[in-house]
Amino acid sequence: MIDIEQAIVAMASNDVEYAVIGGVALSIRATAYITFDIDFAYSRSRNNLAKIAKALAPFNPRPRGFPPELPFVWDVSTLSKGSVFTLDTTIGDIDLLSEVKGIGDFPDVVASSEKIDLWGFSVNILSIDGLIAVKRAAGREKDVPGLKHLEAIKEALSDEGNESN
Amino acid sequence: MRTPEEKLLNPRPGSKIAEAVRYGLDLTLVVENLRRTPQQRLERLQGAMVSVEKLRLAMETAKAKRRADRK
Repeated sequence: MIDIEQAIVAMASNDVEYAVIGGVALSIRATAYITFDIDFAYSRSRNNLAKIAKALAPFNPRPRGFPPELPFVWDVSTLSKGSVFTLDTTIGDIDLLSEVKGIGDFPDVVASSEKIDLWGFSVNILSIDGLIAVKRAAGREKDVPGLKHLEAIKEALSDEGNESN
Repeated sequence: MRTPEEKLLNPRPGSKIAEAVRYGLDLTLVVENLRRTPQQRLERLQGAMVSVEKLRLAMETAKAKRRADRK
């Protein structure tokens, strides 16, 4: 189970270039959705990888399912060798994605996000339209309730004239 | 102009909101969430995670106890 506040504050306080996507973003957008991990989209610039390495180091990140007896080094070099990381940490599961299906790479994710204040930081959160695009691109049956939630919320928050009928 | 709450609680026929209700979604939970700040929504999510985790652990403990009692 992820500690949402600790994960976001760690990233924000280290000035990481990131955006919150996935289930936590869905919850921020008011859907009645429960998730147990947090997904971050991130910039793959070398400078940003160094910030991510520093931000998450206190939580001993290791690849999820990686045999505990095998050594794993969490540093910029490791981060530079991959683009998707599913991490088990002392504050819960954290997924890092450099690209998001249905949106694109990190600059596209930021363009599809809105800044929202959380625990004293201004955080990029994937927009309702962005989340809808991701769910449509995934095309999974399990995403249908989330998609319908998002479409309903989008309509509720739209101007009266845009309410479809 | 209708408020988001009014739209969610009294959807117009043929709207996306009506479609969601017909699908079986409880939009009163969305109405409650929209009254909260984004941070409050996350704090509530965190609380829900803790509750589900406690329930899962209780079920595992009960299962283990049943297995032990059978022996």
